[in-house]
Amino acid sequence: MFKEFAKGLSITLKHLLPGNTTTVEYPKQRLEIAPRFRGLHRLVPAQDREKCVACYLCPTVCPAKCITVESEENEKGEKYPRVYEIDLLRCIFCGYCVEACPVEAIEMTSAYELANFNRGDFVFDKARLLKS
Amino acid sequence: MVNLTIDGKQITTAKTSTIYEAAKENGIYIPVLCYAKKLLPYGACRICLVEVEQMKGRLIPSCTTPVTEGMVVTTLSDEIRKVRKTVLEFLLVNHVVDCPVCDKGGECDLQDLTYEYEVVTNRFEGEKFDLPTDEVNPLIERNMNRCVLCGKCVRVCDEVVGYGSYSFINRGFETKIATAFDRGLNCEFCGQCVSMCPVGAILPRPFKFKARPWQLKEVDSVCGYCGNGCTVTLGVKDNQVQTIRFNEDTGVNHGNLCVRGRFGYSYVNDSKRLTKPLIRKGGELKEASWDEAFATITEKFKTAGKDLGIISGARLTNEELLLLKRVSSAIGTQNLDHSGGECYKGLTEGLKETMGISASTGTFPQVEKCDAILAIRSDFYETHPVFGMVINQAIRLNDAQLAVIADKRGKLSKLPNARTLIHKPGCEINMINALCQVIIAEGLAQTAGLQGITELTKALADYTPEAVAGMVGADAEAIKKTARELANAQNAAIVVAYGLPYTAYSKEIAIAAANLALLTGIAGRDGSGLYLCGEKANSQGAVDLQIIPGPAGLGAQQVLSTAAEGKLPVLYLVGEDPLVSYPDQTLVKKALEKTFLVVQDLFMTDSAKYADIVLPAASFAEKEGTFTNAERRIQRLRAGIKSPGEAKTDFAIFQQLLDKLQKTAPTTPAAAFSELTAEVSGYTDIIYEQIGAQGQVWGGETLVPVKKVLVPVAGMEPLQADYQLLVGSALYHSGTVSTRSKGPMSVCPEPYIEFNRDDAATFGVTTGEMVQLKADGVAIQAKVKVDNRLPKGVLFAPYHFGELGLNKIYKGQSVIAVEPGKI
Repeated sequence: MFKEFAKGLSITLKHLLPGNTTTVEYPKQRLEIAPRFRGLHRLVPAQDREKCVACYLCPTVCPAKCITVESEENEKGEKYPRVYEIDLLRCIFCGYCVEACPVEAIEMTSAYELANFNRGDFVFDKARLLKS
Repeated sequence: MVNLTIDGKQITTAKTSTIYEAAKENGIYIPVLCYAKKLLPYGACRICLVEVEQMKGRLIPSCTTPVTEGMVVTTLSDEIRKVRKTVLEFLLVNHVVDCPVCDKGGECDLQDLTYEYEVVTNRFEGEKFDLPTDEVNPLIERNMNRCVLCGKCVRVCDEVVGYGSYSFINRGFETKIATAFDRGLNCEFCGQCVSMCPVGAILPRPFKFKARPWQLKEVDSVCGYCGNGCTVTLGVKDNQVQTIRFNEDTGVNHGNLCVRGRFGYSYVNDSKRLTKPLIRKGGELKEASWDEAFATITEKFKTAGKDLGIISGARLTNEELLLLKRVSSAIGTQNLDHSGGECYKGLTEGLKETMGISASTGTFPQVEKCDAILAIRSDFYETHPVFGMVINQAIRLNDAQLAVIADKRGKLSKLPNARTLIHKPGCEINMINALCQVIIAEGLAQTAGLQGITELTKALADYTPEAVAGMVGADAEAIKKTARELANAQNAAIVVAYGLPYTAYSKEIAIAAANLALLTGIAGRDGSGLYLCGEKANSQGAVDLQIIPGPAGLGAQQVLSTAAEGKLPVLYLVGEDPLVSYPDQTLVKKALEKTFLVVQDLFMTDSAKYADIVLPAASFAEKEGTFTNAERRIQRLRAGIKSPGEAKTDFAIFQQLLDKLQKTAPTTPAAAFSELTAEVSGYTDIIYEQIGAQGQVWGGETLVPVKKVLVPVAGMEPLQADYQLLVGSALYHSGTVSTRSKGPMSVCPEPYIEFNRDDAATFGVTTGEMVQLKADGVAIQAKVKVDNRLPKGVLFAPYHFGELGLNKIYKGQSVIAVEPGKI
């Protein structure tokens, strides 16, 4: 019985040695993010506007119905999203919006620290999505 | 009938069918781009190629190839697939693939086919088009970079509308669709080309970037403007009517619409709509609750009793009109009337006297098969554009002869085969009498069963074509020719429009037309018809429901004159703006000032400004119920959106009024309709729920006259004045409500006075300059529009605009003597 006890404890002790812990000391320490990680969305800017042309494919494909787009015509006669909002509380980070986008205007970043204090702060509008 | 085999299926079809039509009838799918049901076969796109056993060696376009006996057709094989894919690749060589920003994306035939045939790469290379887009006109956006040259717009504009705005220009790769001299579009703006375009080359500008097709909820309803009763399919999103969708499968109009129907919907969403009841307190209209408004109204109505005057509009549904009638009988008043009271007398008195009916005798689709058509007043196309398109179809498809008895030229005069008999203003009856005279004198009359032929013959002795021609200035030979055509035609139609701007001698003109219809046998004969078409969406319904003064009651004009004398305590206006649209503004104004006025409307109209109580009502897009159109077709309206604020449908308002008057009211429009069928002759046996997509025509396709009495009517003396003003309708507007819609207002934004070129030169005015018209010491001012459709000395002004004040000089006469002057 003592033999088994020692064997078990040795495993425990081995893990206590430096370099053998599996716990990551977050936030001091961070895991490396996989290149295809699906974090916070980002609207890709073009030269003087967003790349998005308000084609409504992302709100159409979105299974969580968390994207709101309202299109309008700008001074140059181009179609642009007057409103582009993602409600992150509803978003399931499936990435369909990125897949559906015909102009590669939306992508998903590696940002995952999305906690906030107010419900309202979870709704990302166009300006925030462009900066993220 | 012809027997053939398509994809192994035995099919029997009409001899006139094409392969495509035969396949479609039997549920076999063949893709198309350039085919449209209502257009002649064209064969431009080569997408519909099929294999035919008997014509081996090449593929056959199915949309242009007629069926033959024993034909064996294959609609899909590896080879067909390959060829169709190649055709698509060719189209996509130049086509800009801007689907994400193209409003057609999602319902684009080219997009769908590209997807279906998996055209992911292109074996051919070429330059993408980079043509300028038409940004000039306000309603129709043309982006020729997306065009696939199917020619549908060219054909619909020519074959259906009869305008001919478009044509192909240039050759080969340079070919494109353009207007004359490749300028911006300046046409009727009916938007038929928009509805036909299979790709995003022609799009409705008011809908630009508003929504994607799949987001719209489609609601089939009936257009609320004219008496044509076109089915409009509302595209609804966010409780707003975003656009009118193309729908060729329902209704009497086969997807055809005019500028009002297609682009005139925006008033429904207008932020200026009334949202709360208003009550005048301390001289000002202040927002109040419905309860308060109803309490005051019931009290006032009860006190007024039989002296209450009710004037209704003709854009209420049949069910609402029934309830309005109930309200009037609950109060005990007989002063109930609609549409100014004069203009519909042709039906209620004229036709009643001669034929014992008060409705058109035929239906619109019958007109397409007519050989001879007589249009009385050239404004017919302006008041009922889509019926005008039916007349055009009759000419194109059936080689019908069209005669127009008119005081000015109009769209109808421009159609092929059209013969315009221009007469002096106000003398239509003389012309119709002359036609009758020719028919009797030449022994062409079908006198069987006619009463009063001798009296009529005697009375018409003075109306020989020569005498009439001499007096009113038309060509005697043309009159004779027209009369012969009408009498000899197998199927013929006589069309007249009535409405607020045509109040003069409306009874007499209907009697004259009825005489002609009886003499030629047009009235009551299958395939022929006399059409008296009301101006508003439910004008016929209002007549059917007898929204007319009772035996002891006052008509609309008497109600107003009694009120002007201060003898009518309370006036109830439902959906009418008499201050703008009724004759004699001074009288109307006095009437509105002197009585306790209750106005029920969508907007703060000019008349509502005089009201003591204003009730916010609902538009056609918010209502359930039925309209009866000018050919007696009962069609259902369906609510697409909710009313703004506290606004209620007229139905709900009348319901509550009846409730306050301790009377029971039907709970739903369907219940009201079933009560209505018991009361209204002709409506019996019609079941609300069973009114289908094509509506239901009461009285049958051909309404047989109850009696056939010829009644002589005297013609008019031409007005002796150097300058004479005609009042009428403009094509882009209908009534006064269209002036609150962005579409019609963007092409016809302000009142105008139309001048003949010579007259304009005499006064030294050009289009856009201000001019003044004086009559009886009163002057009105408006911009000039110079045109060549008026005879010399004749001017024209549309009645829709309040700011013109046309009814300051228009007092119900057929033509007004005026003194024009430059300002």
